Formats: sequence, structure tokens, C-alpha cells
Amino acid sequence: MSDPDTNKQDNENPLDIDGSSFNSEMYLDCLMKCATLRQVMDKEAEVITQSQFLQSEMQTLVYENYNKFISATETVRKMRSDFQIMQEEMNKLSENINKITTFSSNISETLKESGNNVNRLCSTRQLLDKLQFLFLLPTQLNKAIQEGRYSDAVHDYTHAQKVLQKYGDQPSFQSIQSECSEIIYDLKKSLREKLLTPDTTASELAESVGLLRQLQESDSSLQDIFLNCAESRLEQHLKSLSSMVNSTDILEWVEKCNGAILADLGIVITCYHDMFQDKENTNLPDFADKVMSQVFHLFEDVVRRPENIGTEILIRGLDKFFRKLQAMSEIISSDGVSNKALDVVIQCINHKATMQHQTIQIQFKENLMRVRQSLATKGTENADLKDILNSLQVYLMQKIQASLLDLMAFLQNNLSFGLKPWCAKGVADSCWLVISETLINLSDMVKTLSVMQTSNNIPFELLLILAKLCLEIQENGVTILHNHLTRLLEEASPGLSIDKKDTNNIMVNLSTAAQSALDSEVVFIGQTAAQMLRVSVLARDWLRAPEPRGPRAVCRRVVETLASADSAASQLFPTNFKPSSDSSRRTIWSRAPSSFSPINRLFSERIEVFSPAGADRAALSNGALKVALKALVECVRLRTFSRHGLQQLQVDVHFLQQRLSCMGNDERLLNALLEDALSSAQLRCVDPQLMEPSIVDIICERG
Amino acid sequence: MEEGNSIIYGLEHQTRALSPQYESDAIRFLIGTQSLKPNTNQVHVVELEEDTGALHTKVYKHDIGEIWHLRCSPHDAATLMTTHNSYDPETSQCTMGVSIYKLPTLDVIPKDADDLSAIQGRIAEDMALVTTITPEKPEEEIRCSEWHPIDVTRIGIVMDSSVSVRDITTGQVVNSITPEGRNRLKFSSGKWSPQAINQFAVLQDTHIKCFDTRMDGCKTAWNIDNAHRQLARDLDFNPNRQFHLATAGDDAALNIWDYRNAKEPIFSRTDHSHWVWTVRYNTYHEQLLITGSSDGRALLTAAASICDTEDDKKLSQVLEDGVLQSYEQHEDSVYCVEWSTAEPWTFASLSYDARLVLSRVPRHFKYKILL
Repeated sequence: MSDPDTNKQDNENPLDIDGSSFNSEMYLDCLMKCATLRQVMDKEAEVITQSQFLQSEMQTLVYENYNKFISATETVRKMRSDFQIMQEEMNKLSENINKITTFSSNISETLKESGNNVNRLCSTRQLLDKLQFLFLLPTQLNKAIQEGRYSDAVHDYTHAQKVLQKYGDQPSFQSIQSECSEIIYDLKKSLREKLLTPDTTASELAESVGLLRQLQESDSSLQDIFLNCAESRLEQHLKSLSSMVNSTDILEWVEKCNGAILADLGIVITCYHDMFQDKENTNLPDFADKVMSQVFHLFEDVVRRPENIGTEILIRGLDKFFRKLQAMSEIISSDGVSNKALDVVIQCINHKATMQHQTIQIQFKENLMRVRQSLATKGTENADLKDILNSLQVYLMQKIQASLLDLMAFLQNNLSFGLKPWCAKGVADSCWLVISETLINLSDMVKTLSVMQTSNNIPFELLLILAKLCLEIQENGVTILHNHLTRLLEEASPGLSIDKKDTNNIMVNLSTAAQSALDSEVVFIGQTAAQMLRVSVLARDWLRAPEPRGPRAVCRRVVETLASADSAASQLFPTNFKPSSDSSRRTIWSRAPSSFSPINRLFSERIEVFSPAGADRAALSNGALKVALKALVECVRLRTFSRHGLQQLQVDVHFLQQRLSCMGNDERLLNALLEDALSSAQLRCVDPQLMEPSIVDIICERG
Repeated sequence: MEEGNSIIYGLEHQTRALSPQYESDAIRFLIGTQSLKPNTNQVHVVELEEDTGALHTKVYKHDIGEIWHLRCSPHDAATLMTTHNSYDPETSQCTMGVSIYKLPTLDVIPKDADDLSAIQGRIAEDMALVTTITPEKPEEEIRCSEWHPIDVTRIGIVMDSSVSVRDITTGQVVNSITPEGRNRLKFSSGKWSPQAINQFAVLQDTHIKCFDTRMDGCKTAWNIDNAHRQLARDLDFNPNRQFHLATAGDDAALNIWDYRNAKEPIFSRTDHSHWVWTVRYNTYHEQLLITGSSDGRALLTAAASICDTEDDKKLSQVLEDGVLQSYEQHEDSVYCVEWSTAEPWTFASLSYDARLVLSRVPRHFKYKILL
């Protein structure tokens, strides 16, 4: 019937019978106008009932509210009478409280005096307690000292000290103080004595010094005493250690060292730090260095002992020592010790390396002596020089490689220093030292042998072998060893880069040694032959020589000497040169004496007699030939020949030419020297007539 | 004769005897030839004219035999002594002897045309023979003969197995030295010691032995055993420094010794490539030595380091030890080298192929030493 719009309008609607703005006139008008009579009738009835209902309702409401009002009025009346009573009560209360306040202030005033008294009594009691402590102090101290509780005694004393100082001027305290001082003085004395007795342990020592420090000893003197005591104790350890050097092995020694001196030193240093923190290290580093340097010194001695050279034991000992040292270096906190620790390891490695190359050298020398003896006894014919060379070379290489491997033990990764780069470098250096020292020693030895050759009668085969050995090692050995070392290092500590070593120096040494050995061999052979020729030429009376019947025996000996050297050289220094058989057929046609002029020589090369020998069979033989035959020339020039003498020499020269042309590869050289000898003889001949070459040939063959 | 240029003089026969002329202002050398043909041997006097660099020679006959050794007298420029050998076909034997000659004149440089033609023709003149001394045993070989440095009448003759000191006026043996019985090593050469008068040093195989000629027998005043590893060929005393001497030998080495401590040489070089036959100290500059070898070279060697004195360290600073110059003009073995007595920087070397080479110390070394 009504939509929201109308509803809204209804609020103001004067037609709404329940609205506040209801206009009864309008409503009636409206109703009259739009409703039917019946509807008006109904409406009238409805409005009448509604009005009656409202009337009754209003009546009930009025009744109810009236009752309530009456009861409220009664209550208010009752309250008014109650409040009056309350007021009276309150007044009474405040009165009473006032009374209480005055009473309580009275009481507190009375109690104040006695409270003060109690306080006084309490403090007096405390004082008396302290005094009792003081009076008992000497006996307490004595008791404590007798029982050895030094720390308690010192503790008590330091407590009492303050009081005593405060009231020191009172006579009664003075006596206590002096008594205490005496006791403490004694205590100090006994503590100091204790410090000085050698068998106090380091911790006792530390305790004593701590107590003394609490007893206000001056720091510097304490430090001195402390360090002195520590030093004397450590010195005892050192003594016992040094006495052990020659009687125990390295492991035992290191154990003892670690357990005794290093442990004690550690304690001493720690205590020192604890006690004298305020002072920056003044004496300590010196002290520690002094002790440590002595320890290191002893350790070096231990390492030097031949009994301790075994790698395994040395490394284990070194490892233990190094571990302890590392710990120590943390305690001492000085770079010196840790550096020194590295040094010790490096020194050990070096020492080991030195021992090894020395051993190799000694053993090699012994080997060489054996070879020399066997060469001397066996004779030159049977000796297989190549075999000897091989065995020497293999021996040397194996020895070096074995010692390299041995040195690698220092790089085991279970060692405290095993994987450190500095250690690897040290090992690498030492290994190289072994290689280079051994080879340079070899070179030096060969050089010395070469120089000694003439005086010491060393077999020339040995010189050849040594020369070849040097050359072989120079050519291959050095590289092999270098590679071997690189590989070993790579295996032992992978990824470690080792600088390439300078092999040049070794190579040069070896090649000069080889050269000098070869030179010496050539000169030796040449001189041996030359000596034979010289003696035979100088001793013979060429003026009264008979007609030649064959080459003189000395020529055969010369040929044999040169040939044996040549065959020895051929074993070791093979050459491709094949002597042509028909070259020996050629006969020397001597120059006429008149042609003996500078012009001839102008066209021939100058012959250097003592010149460096080549490492080659032919060159070696050439060298020896030159030496021998040049001597022949010079000796011939010192003699005077008869015709037969000259012819004898002609036969000799022809024989030599035939037999020697298969040696060496320089026939021109051989012929030039022999021609020189013959033409010199012609010059020195009183009747220079040569034999028919055909006859010379026949005589030579017959001989 | 400029630097590096040597002057060469050739002879007809082999030569192994050379001596400078002492007591003379000219650069003059005497050469003896060695030829077994009778009456062909000569003594050549060679003079270098310093200003022009011209070489003049005068030839004298030496018909008594081939000359093995020649020494001019230190007392008289015109006197010379040769050690000679001659072959007698009848006995088919060689005999050696020592002869003393006197040159008719000291002049070599021609004064007139006659002289010039004589020299150009190399016509040999005669020398006056003063005396000839022969060994007591005729077949004995004489190595050399040396003038006594002071006593005009004395000479020392080194033979194979003995040294005899002779009086040249009488020819008498004044003293004779024979090596100790056991080893019987032969003597090869010898020389009077210039400082210790009457001491005569002999080379015996590899050893040097010095005898006092006033004493009898075989006791040595001093000796250097094993001075060389091979035969010792020559020795020369340091003219200025007592106790020092240089030796040369078949080990191609030049050694200098202080004979008071003869274990080790104080200086040793092996620069030659064959036997060293001769060594000479420069008379004026003891640090300069010249050696001749059968490798056909003469080497000028400096031994400055051992010539330093306490107050003057200069020598070894300006001059390094070792070979200063190698003279390679020879084609054959050089058996003799001699410094000129008149000019400190000139020396002569003589090779077997009859070639005399006059050479000089290179100028820059000369200035180094002088300045």
C-alpha cells in the first residue's frame, strides 16, 4: 500500500494517524472525501477501539510510576537520617588518629638513643674482630708457613698490611707489624731460597714468584730472579741433554728435550707473561733466544751424529722436534724461534743431502779403486771397458736416484713440515745439491786424476772410461736426473712449482773434466811412445850403425803401445772411420835435403802437438801419434847419422808409417811428421844416401 | 821495424846457436850454423840499425865444425865462444870441442863500397881463434859452454855426464862435477848463477841442480827436483831478483821458481803446444819473458804478478799475467831466443830452418810498462 516514497512522506504526512504531525481535520476531510460510508463506519469503529486500548494502557503506566516515586521518596528520607550518624563517627576517628600520631612520635624519640647504642656496639665488635685477627696474625702466619700454605699466609698478610699501615704508629700495632714483617721477611727469604734450589719444578717456581710479587717485591728484581732461576734450571736440563747427545738416539733425545727443557721453558714463559703482563717483553726474548739457541745447537750436534743419519729415524725425530718448536713459537711469540725452526728442518735436509753426496763420492772412489786395480792386474787386453763404464755409470746414477728418493721422505704428508712449500723448496734444493755436488765432485776427481796421471801411474783405460763417463752423464745423465727429480717432486708434493735448475755449470764442469781426461790420456800414450823413441834415438850410436836388417824393436813396441790405446779407445769411442787397407802401401818418398826449406812448410799446416783431444777414437789416436812422432823428429835432429844409421831410420819410419796408418784418420799428419823425421835425419847425416824404397819394403816385411 | 812487423833474416844452413853481443851499444846478434858438410859453417853477425830499421850482417868462417852452442863474452864484445862438433870420416867419429874466437872488428854496418860488396856477396871472413878446449874423453858430447859472469879466465863446460870448469888461458880443468853415482842421468844444459858467484846450475833430466864450483864433488848448493814433468830444456836466472829463475821443458811449460822453496813453481804457464827449448828474462824488465818452442812459435809472456814488490804494486796492475804476444813467423822449431843487450824491447828468435826473426815488444805493452 505504501512504497518507500510514500513512507517517507508519511513521516511528515499529516494523514498518518501515528505520526507526530497528524492533522485530524485533514485526515477527516480526506477520509470523508475518499472513503465509502461503510469504510468510514469501519474506520470509526477501529479508531474507537484503538483509543480505548490506548486509554487503558496509559492508566496502568501512571499507576506504576507513582508507586516507584513514593518508594524513592521514602529512601531519600531514610538516607538523610543515616548520614548524620556517619558524620559523627568520622569526627571521632580523626580525633583518635591524631592521638596515635603523637604517641608514635613520642615512642620513636625514646627509642632513638638505644638504637645508636646498638650500632656502636656492633662496630666495636667488628673492630675487635679485626684486632683479634691482627693479634693472631703472627701465629696464623707462622702456622700457615709451617704447614706450607704460603698462599694463605700471603693472603692474610696482604689483608692485614693495609690496617697495619694505617695504625702503624700505635705502639701495640707496631710490635705486631714488626713481628709480621719479620715473619714475612723470613717467608720471602725462604721463598727466594726455594727459588734458588735447583729441584723446584717450574710451577712451584711460578707460584713462589707470584707470591713474592704479591709481597710487593719490585718487578725488575723479581724478573731477574725468576729468569735466573729458570735459567739455572734450564741449564741443568741442557747439561743433561748435552750429556745425552752421545749416548742416545735422536728420538729419545728429542723426547727428552721436548719433555724437559722445552716444556719447562714453555711454563716459564707463560708464567712470566701472566705475572709481569704490564711490562713489555724486555728480558724475555733474549732469555728465550739464549736458551733456544743452545737447544738448537745441541740438536745440530745430535743430527750430526753418524748414528742418527738413518732417514726414518732422523725424520721422526725432526718431526717431533719441529712440532714442539711450532708450539713453542706460539708461546714465545717471537719470529726468531719459528724461523729458526724452519732453519733447523732445512739444515737437517741439507745435512742429509751433504752426507749422501759425500757417501756417494766415497763409495764411487772405492769403486774406482777396484776398477783401477782390476785394470792393473787383468792387463789391458781382456778388460771390457764398456762393461766397466756401464757399471760405473749405472752405479752412480742409481746411487743418486736412491738418495733423491731418500730425501723425498722429508715431504711425507704426515709430517708437520711435510707439505709446507718452504720444505719442498728445501728438499728440491737439497736434491739438486746432491746431483750437482756429486757430478761436480766427479768432474773434480777426474780432473785431479788427469793431472796426477804422470806421477801416479793411473791406467790410461781408466782415463778413457772416466772421460766417457763424464761425457755420457753430460749428454744424458744430467737431463735424466733433472727429470727424475722433477717427477719425484711432482709426486711428493703435487702442484708445487720448483724453479728449473741451472744445469749449465754441471755440464761445463763435466765436459772440461772429460776433456782433461782425454788430453791426459793422449799425452800419456803419446809420451810413453815418445819416451821409447827418444831413449832409443838418443842412446844409439847412429854413426856406427850396421846395415839395417829390419825395423828396430822399439818401433814394434811403439806400434803396440799406440795400438793398444787405439783399441781401448775404439771400445768406448767408436768412430765411423774405416782405415783403407791400401793406404799403408804408400811409401814415403823423402824430400831431398835441399827441399828442406821454409817454402815447403808454408804450404803445410802447422801441427799443434799438445792440443785438445777430440772425443773420438781417431782423434785420440791422432793426438798420441803427434806427440810420439814429433818427439822422434826433435830427437833425430840432435843426433848425427852415418849412411847406415840414416837407412835404419828410413826402415823404421817406413815401418811406422805402414803400421800406424790404420790408426787415426789423418794420414797427412802422419806422413808429414814421418817425412819430417826422415828429412831431419838426412840433414844430420854425414853421407845422406837413402835406400831403394823396394828394399825398404822387403826389409820391413821380412822384419 | 814497426809494431807487429818483424824483420826476417835467412841463412843457408840449419841453425841452433844464437847469442846477443854483450858490452855493445848496437842491437847485435851472433848466429852459428849447423852443417855436417866440411868447411861450410859460419858465424853470422847481425846488426839492426835502429833508426832505419835496416839489417846488416857480417859473415865469418867457422871451419872447425858445426856450431851447437854460441856465447859472446860478457867481458869483451869481440870475443865469442862456440861449442862445436865435427865429423871425421876416417875414424867415422864425431868430436866436440869448445873454441874461443876474437872478431877482427865489431863493425857490421858497411863504411864503404868495398865493405858493402863484401857483405852483399856474403863473403866469409876469418876470425882469430884464441883457443880450443877439448874434453878429456874425446868421444864425450858437450852440451854447452858458459862464460863465468865475473872471472874472465873461467868457463863452465856442460858435458853429458859432467861439468868442468876450465881456465881458458891454460885449458886446465879447475873443477869438475859429476852427477851422483846412482841415477847417472845425463846433463842437458847449464848456466852460471849471476848472483851467487861460482854457483853453476845444471839441468839433469827433469831436475835442476846447482853446484858450488869451488867445492869438490857432487853436493848441490840447491836443487829443484822434478822442475818439469818431462825433460827440462833450459833455464834463465832473473837478472834483478835473487833466487828467481825460469825453466822450460818438454812438458811445454814455462815455470818460474824461487829456489829457496822449490816444491812448487811460483809461476807456471803451458801456452806452447810442444817442447819449450829456451827461455829468457828481459834484462831490464824482469816481468817479460820470451820462450821458444818446437811448435814453431816464440811467445812473449808476462809474469808481472810475481814481480810486485812491497811498496810498488803497480806491475801486476798494468800488466796481466800470460801471453802478451805470439810470434808466428817461424816455420820450424824455435831453438833459440835472445833479448838484445842494447835495446830492452827487441829480441831475436832463431828457428832450425835457418830463419832469424827480430821482433819487438808491442808498443802498447811497452807504454804500459813504462808509464
